Amino acid sequence: MTRIAIRRLVTLVPLVWLVVTVTFLVVQLAPGSYADTLDHPRLTPEARQNLRASYGLDRPLGEQYLRWLAAAATGNLGSSYLFKEPVIRVIGRALPPTLLLAGTALLLDLLLGVLLAVAAARRPYGWVDRLTTVLGLGIYGLPSFWIAGLLILVFALGLGWLPASHMHSVGAGELSAPGRLIDLLRHLVLPALSLGLVGAAATARLLRATLLEARASRFVLAATARGLSPRRILWVHSLRPALLPVITAFGLALPMVFSGSVVVESVFSWPGMGMALWRAAEARDIPLVMGLTLVGAAAVIVGSLIADLLYAVADPRAREER
Amino acid sequence: MKRLPRRLVLGLAIGLISACANPAPPPATGNGAPARGGTVVVGGLGDVLSWNPYLAEDQTTVEILSLVYPSLAVEQVDYQDHPPSFAPSLATGWEPSADGLELTFSLDPRARWSDGVPVTAEDVAFTFRTQRDPDVAWLGSDAKDAILEVAVVDAHTVRFRFDRAYPYQLMDANEGPIIPAHAWGGIPYPQWRDVDWGERVVSAGPFRKASHRPQQELVLERSDGYWRDGRPYLDRVIWRPMPSRAPLLAQLLTGDIDLVNGLDPADAERVAADPRLRVVGFPDRGYSQIRWNLRRPHLADRRVRRALTMAIDRQAIIDVVYLGRARPSVGPVISAMWAFNRSLQPVAFDPAGARRLLAEAGWIDSDGDGTLDRDGVELAFELLTNSENDLRQDICLLVEQNLARVGVAARPRFVEWGTMLALETGGDFDAIVSGWIEPTLIDLGPLWHSAPPGEPTLNSVGYANPEVDRLLEAAAEAATFAEQKPLFDRIQELIVDDQPYTFLAETERLVGINARVRGAVINDASPYFNLDEWYVAHEADVR
Repeated sequence: MTRIAIRRLVTLVPLVWLVVTVTFLVVQLAPGSYADTLDHPRLTPEARQNLRASYGLDRPLGEQYLRWLAAAATGNLGSSYLFKEPVIRVIGRALPPTLLLAGTALLLDLLLGVLLAVAAARRPYGWVDRLTTVLGLGIYGLPSFWIAGLLILVFALGLGWLPASHMHSVGAGELSAPGRLIDLLRHLVLPALSLGLVGAAATARLLRATLLEARASRFVLAATARGLSPRRILWVHSLRPALLPVITAFGLALPMVFSGSVVVESVFSWPGMGMALWRAAEARDIPLVMGLTLVGAAAVIVGSLIADLLYAVADPRAREER
Repeated sequence: MKRLPRRLVLGLAIGLISACANPAPPPATGNGAPARGGTVVVGGLGDVLSWNPYLAEDQTTVEILSLVYPSLAVEQVDYQDHPPSFAPSLATGWEPSADGLELTFSLDPRARWSDGVPVTAEDVAFTFRTQRDPDVAWLGSDAKDAILEVAVVDAHTVRFRFDRAYPYQLMDANEGPIIPAHAWGGIPYPQWRDVDWGERVVSAGPFRKASHRPQQELVLERSDGYWRDGRPYLDRVIWRPMPSRAPLLAQLLTGDIDLVNGLDPADAERVAADPRLRVVGFPDRGYSQIRWNLRRPHLADRRVRRALTMAIDRQAIIDVVYLGRARPSVGPVISAMWAFNRSLQPVAFDPAGARRLLAEAGWIDSDGDGTLDRDGVELAFELLTNSENDLRQDICLLVEQNLARVGVAARPRFVEWGTMLALETGGDFDAIVSGWIEPTLIDLGPLWHSAPPGEPTLNSVGYANPEVDRLLEAAAEAATFAEQKPLFDRIQELIVDDQPYTFLAETERLVGINARVRGAVINDASPYFNLDEWYVAHEADVR
């Protein structure tokens, strides 16, 4: 298992390099530069050109790329054009909100997914199963920004139960610590649901199928023959083997959560990596786009490595060297 | 060619929150005297991106920092009949020299920075050095081109010396807020771009920075040391940056935020329907237009451009797109401005006349396919605008319909703002629906003077009229406004004749404000024009 981990970690560097290089090229494909997106009231064409020069945007593409790469290799991700501070500081500020949101979304994904799958698998083709199938497929087919809009419409604008944007209410700084926590959780609900619901639907679909497969297996037959309760058979004997593909799917879901957070964070004004990436892309803030992509890519790759290792923990067969 | 002073308030083509025109009546008048205390929450699309005003590169930062750092004087919005006048602020008064080459300001001796240090002439001189420093590279530094020196006469007197006598000396001297020499003067300019200015704010306005969480919340609190008696009334002003317009409107309607500057006309109708809210509308200095790329062979003909204008129902655009909250635009100077040529008439809507004019220019439908052609080439072009702006997209669709009726094929294309700007700057477009916001300093040179190829210019359409060039140069040299006016009048006549733009509509800025906010005068100089005089009604005063 250690060798698997080492092997995967060694591939991390070229993979991340590939991702940031492609990102650099894609950002350059978009017309215009940071200097072109500014709306400063006194910006003359000359000033725009000077600005381009002062950010080195008038240098040849290859030179810009190599400069960035050389600096990044020494851990210097440069300064954000937009926020006028080191990229690393912007990332440091944006990372905790994203971890909180993505973590909550993944937790929702898992909990809701398992609950729905178990409920459906208890009586295959019963009404619970049919309902969760229809709902699950419906939600799975929806983009997260659409779900976000729907949730805002119903729970924020319609019913007025939950806030529709930001991480805190106006003046939340004056609340007591528990008050601030409740305020934060209230703000977390809608973005976490927007990001987690699609995943939960996918998890439920996948897990239902593997649960049904497990039910048909011989060890379940053996457990039934031993007179174990259906509940014990479902929760203990069927669920663990059925969860294996879900763990893999979880590793694959990480990039979805990361990319989904770009849209969801922007819709909800959640001050994380996704919103920063959105703003950076709009503003052609290349250092920030590159820095965020670098960290995001590394996080996704490490995340899927962790999923693989967990898989090995859950399934002894995967620990063997093939 | 003498270089013209190149400065122009750029059109905020995204329709971002921005400054706006004309004094508006206070949106809410108080019953009784202003009360102290309370908080006003302002929602907007932008945020403060740097706490140093000379490193700011965006409109929102400039606007908010103008509340934190003092100005010598405050420009008024009385530019209908004469150039704008100025009210004292940090400077209690100013005096020109007899030769018109100097301007001497007296500073308010009561003025203090937030750390208690007096604001002095040295701060003004330091500000000027900063404005001109190449390492700082302030985007507005061209406003100081004509200023030779800023000399400290004594602690509270400062003298500006200019290279010539010209009408905008006071405006140029006043441009840019005053910054603290004692706090920032020790930081070498080359290091300015690496400093965390949020940690070094020393302010001298009615409000000071209390806290700032980027993209989340900015809290300004009343500055106890503010020298104007009893001001400000509010305890706090909070900015909530929003990701898009939808939550802005929603939170204005729920009462979570008190003010939104820059509503769409349709949103304004919803706000106006709410008895707790008011809509303040006033003409901003903005106008929308179609910019024709004169380098395109079929658009190079003045008759074609005039015909296209005649074929476009501009009143319908005002009625349908702007819901009546706009006025016809006639030419390159806003009709509310003193420099506007009031004898100009808009080109009349006349589709039949447009067809005749196009036929005269050789464009007829020879193959009967419904589109005019000449020498086998169809009269067709792409109509570009930015996808962030719904109003402009609607305009494109209306124009497409209008032009189709006279046999001209306009194909709307919507691209993101940065892309549109890059296409425009590169001259890679046929026609663009966009907008400008006119500065109160009338300078038509950047838009209308012909520019040699390759030189950066705002004259993206490639307009070149030697007579206009000559008149523009004469206007830039004029020593007084009275000398400028006839030149401006003639320039406007020539440009309207040439129709390098189809002038569409002079727009209105719409501000939604909660009725609990009293005393606010919101105008095109700034949405926060008199923020220190705002106050909040007691709950009992408001329903």
